[in-house]
Amino acid sequence: MAHRVNKNGMRFNPTQLRKLLGAGLLSLSLVLFATIQPTNAATAQRVQVTGEIIDTWCYVTEIMFSEGTAHHQCAVWCALGGIPVSILGKDGKVYMVLRVEGDDNSVANPTIVEIQSHEVTVDGDLYERDGVNYLIVNKVADDKGVINMTHEDYGIQPFGE
Amino acid sequence: MKIKSFALIAAVTAAGFLSAQSANAADEWGIEYEEKARVEAKVVDLLCEVTGDCVEQCGAGTRQLGLLLDDGTLVPAVKNFDPFAGTTDDLIQFCGKRIVADGLMIKDPLMPMFVVQFRRLAPDGEWGRANNFTKNWAKSNPDKPANQWFRHDAEVLRLVETQGVYGIPGLKAEE
Repeated sequence: MAHRVNKNGMRFNPTQLRKLLGAGLLSLSLVLFATIQPTNAATAQRVQVTGEIIDTWCYVTEIMFSEGTAHHQCAVWCALGGIPVSILGKDGKVYMVLRVEGDDNSVANPTIVEIQSHEVTVDGDLYERDGVNYLIVNKVADDKGVINMTHEDYGIQPFGE
Repeated sequence: MKIKSFALIAAVTAAGFLSAQSANAADEWGIEYEEKARVEAKVVDLLCEVTGDCVEQCGAGTRQLGLLLDDGTLVPAVKNFDPFAGTTDDLIQFCGKRIVADGLMIKDPLMPMFVVQFRRLAPDGEWGRANNFTKNWAKSNPDKPANQWFRHDAEVLRLVETQGVYGIPGLKAEE
């Protein structure tokens, strides 16, 4: 079998050479891939979440009443404005949605905007990091529509029209 | 859930309408748990950073973005300076780069978040107001008032027409 000799005098047969070249290409690929890799990805937990689809900003900051029919229009504004959409779980936790049924678009996603304020049950993967619950929605298992009738008490938030 | 005064709502909304502020320093918005903050951080794609599902250019404006601080803490960049708008248009040009973000760090127990009011490329790029959403909207809607984009946006109008202001077709607001 023919061997090649490198500058250090080491001998490689063609099979070894292919492995070395392959390893080199793999290393190069890993270096390139690493440039768009996360620094500290969290571990997922399989969950089912039931709750209302809300605007993250208005709910967390409490700058206005931000649930149900009273806040629906504002929730549409915020979603179309690109503010993250979350699910307010029955457990009181806020789950920020980063993907819905394989769709990575989380900025004014037409599917999510259409179901603002709906009560849904979703199956997904939960990633908890630095105090934030990030949710990957794998499947919307149930959608009850808008059922949180808050407008009689709170009108139309925030401007009354 | 506590509800803040209407004056606060008006103040926060009005802040989004201001267009000629000269100082590159954050305004207080009177939000509970807010702290004026100027941080140097890397702009990251949240889905990539959290799950490892990464794409080129942070999704080119289709994915939510966050700030990765030097101590490894990840903070979602939820709000910019425009009324009812997020930060993607303001941060996407800095995907994977370090910026100086000036705004509000909101350390709410429900979840922390960052309001970007100004940003620049670190360490000494040119400051820019974080109001690209309305700038970009205005380019697409030159005949409409950008400071009231939420009242004139075609998709908003379509949804309110089909779903009603309460999200329930046929349920109309009382005059």
